[in-house]
Amino acid sequence: MPATPLTPGEDQEKLLDDAVAVVKVQAFQMKRMLDKDKLMDALKHASNMLGELRTALLSPKNYYELYMAVTTELCHLEIYLLDEVDEHKGRKMSDLYELVQYAGNIIPRLYLLITVGLVYMRAHPGSRKDILKDLVEMCRGVQHPLRGLFLRNYLLQCTRNVLPDSDGVEDTQNPQNPLSPDARDGLLMYTRESEIGMPGTVKDSVDFVLANFGEMNKLWVRMQHQGHSRDRERREKERQELRLLVGTNLVRLSQLDAVNLDRYKKMVLPGILEQVVSCRDPIAQEYLMECIIQVFPDEFHLQTLQSFLKSCAELRQQVNVKTVIISLIERLAAYATRVDGPGIPANIPLFEIFSEQISTIIQSREEMPSQDIIALQVALVNLAIKCYKDRIDYIDLVLNKTAEIFARQGIKSVQSDTPVGKEMLKLLRMPVDTYNDVITLLKLENLVSCLDMLDVKGRKTMAILIANNMIDNETKLTTTDQVNTVLSKLLDVLIQAEGESLDSVDIEDFVEEQNLVARLISLMQSDSPDDQYSILNSARKLLANGGPDRIRFTLPTIVFQFLQLAGRYSQIREEDEKWSKKVAKIFQHVHQTISALTKAEGCSADLTLRLYLEAAQAADRIDFADHETVAYEFLSQAFSLLEEEVSDSKAQLAAITLIIGTLQQMSCFSEESHAPLRNQCALVAANLLKKPDQCRAVSTCAHVFWSGKTNSGQELRDGKRVAECLKKGLRFASQCMDSGVQAQLFCELLNSYVYFFEKGNVEHIKVDTLNQLIAKIKELMPTVEKCDEVEQIQAHFERTLERLSSKKGEPLYEGLTL
Amino acid sequence: MALFGFGQSADIDIVLDGTQTRPLAEIKTEEGKKEKHYLYYDGESVSGKVNISLRKAGSRLEHQGIKIEFIGLIELYYDRGNHHEFTSISKELARPGDLIQNTSFPFEFHNVEKPYESYTGANVRLRYFLRVTIVRRLTDTVKEMEIVVHTLSSYPDMNSSIKMEVGIEDCLHIEFEYNKSKYHLKDVIVGKIYFLLVRIKIKHMEIAIIKRETTGAGPNTFTENETIAKYEIMDGAPVRGESIPIRLFLAGYELTPTMKDINKKFSVRYYLNLVLVDEEERRYFKQQEIILWRKGEKVRKPVQMIQSPPVERPVTLSTPSSPQSLPEQDGEKNFTREDQDQVNPLPLPFPVNKENVAVCNSDGEQ
Repeated sequence: MPATPLTPGEDQEKLLDDAVAVVKVQAFQMKRMLDKDKLMDALKHASNMLGELRTALLSPKNYYELYMAVTTELCHLEIYLLDEVDEHKGRKMSDLYELVQYAGNIIPRLYLLITVGLVYMRAHPGSRKDILKDLVEMCRGVQHPLRGLFLRNYLLQCTRNVLPDSDGVEDTQNPQNPLSPDARDGLLMYTRESEIGMPGTVKDSVDFVLANFGEMNKLWVRMQHQGHSRDRERREKERQELRLLVGTNLVRLSQLDAVNLDRYKKMVLPGILEQVVSCRDPIAQEYLMECIIQVFPDEFHLQTLQSFLKSCAELRQQVNVKTVIISLIERLAAYATRVDGPGIPANIPLFEIFSEQISTIIQSREEMPSQDIIALQVALVNLAIKCYKDRIDYIDLVLNKTAEIFARQGIKSVQSDTPVGKEMLKLLRMPVDTYNDVITLLKLENLVSCLDMLDVKGRKTMAILIANNMIDNETKLTTTDQVNTVLSKLLDVLIQAEGESLDSVDIEDFVEEQNLVARLISLMQSDSPDDQYSILNSARKLLANGGPDRIRFTLPTIVFQFLQLAGRYSQIREEDEKWSKKVAKIFQHVHQTISALTKAEGCSADLTLRLYLEAAQAADRIDFADHETVAYEFLSQAFSLLEEEVSDSKAQLAAITLIIGTLQQMSCFSEESHAPLRNQCALVAANLLKKPDQCRAVSTCAHVFWSGKTNSGQELRDGKRVAECLKKGLRFASQCMDSGVQAQLFCELLNSYVYFFEKGNVEHIKVDTLNQLIAKIKELMPTVEKCDEVEQIQAHFERTLERLSSKKGEPLYEGLTL
Repeated sequence: MALFGFGQSADIDIVLDGTQTRPLAEIKTEEGKKEKHYLYYDGESVSGKVNISLRKAGSRLEHQGIKIEFIGLIELYYDRGNHHEFTSISKELARPGDLIQNTSFPFEFHNVEKPYESYTGANVRLRYFLRVTIVRRLTDTVKEMEIVVHTLSSYPDMNSSIKMEVGIEDCLHIEFEYNKSKYHLKDVIVGKIYFLLVRIKIKHMEIAIIKRETTGAGPNTFTENETIAKYEIMDGAPVRGESIPIRLFLAGYELTPTMKDINKKFSVRYYLNLVLVDEEERRYFKQQEIILWRKGEKVRKPVQMIQSPPVERPVTLSTPSSPQSLPEQDGEKNFTREDQDQVNPLPLPFPVNKENVAVCNSDGEQ
């Protein structure tokens, strides 16, 4: 047989086909002989068939196929022998056990020996102890890894139903079914005389499986060191394919009913761990540790954590201990949270054990990658969360350890897109997602130091996560400290500029972040207005450092919060005698805030103008001392803004419309204050650039002169000024070149005229004016080019006429011609 | 005489006593054919009747006497002319005279000594037979009857294990142990091989039972080696620290007790040959003599006990190798590497594996 076992795929197939063909022929002959009761001939064919398993040419996968074909056929022999045994018990079995051992080649011999041994044990349970021992020892003869693994797998499969599983004490005085003396001669020197004829107990089964496990593992590990080093990858792949064979031993151990906690602790686990640690093979160690976790019950793991974890520390550096421990933690965490389960026993300090052992493991493994270390911390946090949800100190402890580890390794900053960074983010987000309460997070003293280790991107990710979490859970910040900590520690990356250039930032992301911050401000709410005042003040100060790009998103919210707070004070004026002063103070802050915004580069005048108007209205509503002055100031600021900052004509129109509307709503001004303000409105309106804008602005302005109020509470009803405004409007409209626009403006003006006419301004508005206007529009309409807009204008005009015709009969409208 | 159809002639028939209970034993003829004959032990009486039947009724048979002989002899195949009788006892059944009717003569060789075991080998044969001779004037009428003798030995007092460390420096060191140095023919060889150092790529390991038959003396010594059994005990390459079990049942093989210097004519010795084969098909082996002996049946029939118990001789045919001294000897310490393995067909009750068959064929021994 050549030394290199592998031949290319095609040859492999042919080799397998040939071998399977031989197996079929020999199996057929074997079965024929069994039918004729010719056992000797049947054994001969069985041996020939088994001879195919001696091949060294097949890949593990194909060898497995062959093995399956052979062992399936071997079942027939087993069944025949079992029937046979029922008929003539006694000596025959031991003879047979000897007979098959004359097979010259070891592979067929041992397969036959196992088959006969199984029948022997079935027929004479008293032989189990010895036969098991004998079989597992005899299999040592096969040292070839692949062939040995499959042979021992066959041993394991065959014996699965005959393993002694009683925990009774053996009766050494009265052995049952002692072996015949001849059989005893045949058994190895390994068997002590006094134990001959024992049916065995679970201890024998454990010894048996552990021995088999040890040998299989050795063979499996040995595969790694065979052949050329360039084939390493292939070899490792093959080993992975074969690992189940080794792991089955552990499954078998776990299936023994009599292996209780005590036996597991004293016999089973130490045996397995000893083998795993001493084999010094990373692939085996990793797989087998994982296997232990998966096959044995959680109750056992809980009671053997120390020894298991201690062994983890002794594994090879290449072993991914992280995966092993994490999967154990996940198992136990799942166990702890199982609804019908008993939970973690109180006497097992699960977290402490893991925490200590993980520290030991980390220290014992210098080559452990940082991401794995962090992943272990993640697992610890996971454990703490799942099993000890109320022990936030556990999480803090993990964070503390994490910071220490970084400090020890001299790591100051973690790139968030590296594996370490990703683990770190996982670690930090877990408490956030678990507690859904930032107030609880604030109890984690080490959270901030861990956050600080991240780079800007990482911190941003965390900050957004935290902010969203707060918003989703409506977590209220009720003290200045909380606000300060959250903003300056957890979310600092969102509100601080830190010399970062915005050019590198995705603008949409940035806007979204800042909106988040703005939304957070509404979560800052204290029941006490005074506290709320200082909260807002603190927030304002912190946010103000964010630079022009940020404050335009964040400060407006502060303004509105302040205005709301002022309203609150006004409501509780009975309880707080200093309310007026406090409100004045608030408006001072509002003023400062808005003027800070006006100075901020890139902040739109539209925004600040609206803020001034909001503030003015608020000041109008709340009658604290000097509120007229304050309101006046805000309005005048609005005018200044309009003049200085608003250049676009559309924006100008919008702005003056807003101002007019605001002024019309307000009622705090004395006549002395109101007059300049309303005149200013009219002036600005008339001085707009475009004719239609002028027209519309002045007609809007008419309302201030009609329904605007002073602090006397009376509407102005200044019909003359109204008529002047409308007249100006007519003039501006008639100056328009576009007849469509002209028609539209006339139509709008007609409406205004009708409005004020009906409101009672009959002194300055005559029916004649209406008639002229209607005639003018009628004259204009046909000249207008047809388009959608025109239809609208037409409709508008018609509806106006409809309305007028319905009123035509009224005395007011005497003389109206439609 | 009978050829010519004249005169009287007679058939001789030897009937042994107690054949209903006496076991038969198998032995090979010189041609390799297997025959079965009655089995006797040393010291057992050989008795029976000689029936002489006349072929022509009413006519007499004249003879010069009738005798029966018990003969044990050694035949060396290369020296056909000389048979070496080591035992020859003659008994007269009838004085010279006439036989007028079918006659039966009882005979007994009382407690006759049968010092050696029946044996058929490659170059030598040791046999026992009874010979009846009717002495006549011209041609004697002779009838022979083979019997088989087994020599029994008592359980050896000294039966230490064989334990030895052998190896090739920096290449291979093993320690092997066989549980005994003397095995009876139905015994089991139990042992183990412990690997102390493995630097070669071993492919498999087998153990062979080799029979060495030496005939003649001095310059005319012939030695014949025969592999009786070849038994694979390990598949694949072990690593340091492995211990490989050996268990070899002897009952299934055609073995004889070890015979040393039988009547100064021949010896038959047995060796266990441990062979390791590496991936380059190089063979490393170590031979170790074992003593085989025949053990008496545990339950003996009471009749035999009273009549003449078979003699069991102690196994003292060769001094057992002292396990302590051997590793020290230079010659013993090393493996022998052989290039050619002589293999004979294996008389296993079990199918011989293909590989072995192939080797047999190529050697042309079959």
